[in-house]
Amino acid sequence: LAIAAGDPDDERGLARQICLACVAGLDIDGASLSLLTTTASRQTLWASDPVAELLEDLQFSLNEGACIQAASSGVPVLVPDLAEGVEVARWPVFAAALAERTEIRAVFALPLQWGATNLGVLDLYRRLPGELSRSQWRDALATAEIATLLMLGLHTDPRRNQVETLGNDHTDGQLHDGGAGASGWLDSLSGGRAEVHQATGMVLVQLGVTSTEALARLRAHAFAHQRLLIDVARDVVDRTLVFTKDDK
Amino acid sequence: VTKPAGREELLARAFVSLADTLVDDYDIIDLLDRLVGYSVELLAATAAGLMLADARGQLRLVASTTETADFLEVMQLQAEEGPCVDCFSTGTAVSAPDLTSASAAQRWPRFTAIISGRQTYASAHALPLRLRDQTLGSLNLFHPAPGALPAADLTLGQALADVATIGILQERAIRRGEVVNEQLQTALTNRTIIEQAKGVLAEHFQLDMDHAFELLRGYARPRQLRLAELARELVTRQLDPGELISPRQKPGGKPTK
Repeated sequence: LAIAAGDPDDERGLARQICLACVAGLDIDGASLSLLTTTASRQTLWASDPVAELLEDLQFSLNEGACIQAASSGVPVLVPDLAEGVEVARWPVFAAALAERTEIRAVFALPLQWGATNLGVLDLYRRLPGELSRSQWRDALATAEIATLLMLGLHTDPRRNQVETLGNDHTDGQLHDGGAGASGWLDSLSGGRAEVHQATGMVLVQLGVTSTEALARLRAHAFAHQRLLIDVARDVVDRTLVFTKDDK
Repeated sequence: VTKPAGREELLARAFVSLADTLVDDYDIIDLLDRLVGYSVELLAATAAGLMLADARGQLRLVASTTETADFLEVMQLQAEEGPCVDCFSTGTAVSAPDLTSASAAQRWPRFTAIISGRQTYASAHALPLRLRDQTLGSLNLFHPAPGALPAADLTLGQALADVATIGILQERAIRRGEVVNEQLQTALTNRTIIEQAKGVLAEHFQLDMDHAFELLRGYARPRQLRLAELARELVTRQLDPGELISPRQKPGGKPTK
């Protein structure tokens, strides 16, 4: 994935790849990925087709629907059959609009959730009702998780801020954990590396910033000192490394 | 509550408490946290940890009786090698009555090396969280002395693991298999928030992670707050960490506010 450089089109490129992978690999008809779903500044990064785009537009203009609920609750919302009364009752206006304007019968909304932070939602739809099989569901969840980590990686990429001073030294950055493209980045945030999350909590207090910003500062430190994120996190937890507001 | 009790009384109390939790709207991490606590008390273990598989089939620690770095490292390794991962992959209970034995060392060389270096645990037992043909994770018990758990204890441990499975399932899951995955995902996400909140408290009060978690739990329980919800409020700064401690009980560390 070419996600190393810092221009905003990268998010779209990433969203496109995630959506295309879902359409190709899962028993669905379309996919879309939207950012900042719980806030006013919403943005559909990519939609696989006009129907998927309409699905997003309807939810945003009505301010209700599976995707909105997934973003605000942080929990996947699965609607295998929109014609079922119980499901429709959750979002009557949205369900009515979908029935009137589209042939969508099933919607699966997966939040891109990192701790308390919602980064966006991956929406999948199908014209035929029915649940995803267990293996497809696992694939969908795994895709959403990877999308979350890659998106978080983009938002906290140390090279985004340091590109001017460091020049185009991308090959170097990919050798260690500070780089967004390095697989070490995925490893240190997935699979229960508790220390990274604990250190994030400590740094957010030390600097008075959000959890995402705290993670960005941890990564920037790892990048600048050519160290692994997990090692930097352990130093913070052991209190051998303290971030102060003057650090840059 | 601190009055010494026989095992039968303890058992009754544990299941009544767990059943009480299950009928209400509950936080799954909180339920699992109680459950590992009871499993240690009832089965005379030193430590217990409950691991669930994520969407990629990787095991992650969701609840444990001790949150020391030492124990977390043992569990982290268990995600790759040891009784826990064997229990998960086979869906059956796995006993390691003597972790210092040659057979254990042969079966799990890296895991037994770590364990023998620490000399904290001599035996381990892993019990599966089973749902029909699917294994969701495992309940892992560690004892200080070698020896196999008696059959009655294993049955009791399995019953506790089954309660965990039921807790994860919720009533809706009986209708729709997919809810299991929703719940699993929620448990894993909530664990991330709780780790971050532990960091917030550890930094604010200069505590270690173990005590930070105790503070979080000690505040949530009597107020019947969900652990994950309390953690979320701390991480997003809706709640000042200072609120968790009444003015007279502030610990030695200097609060920043």
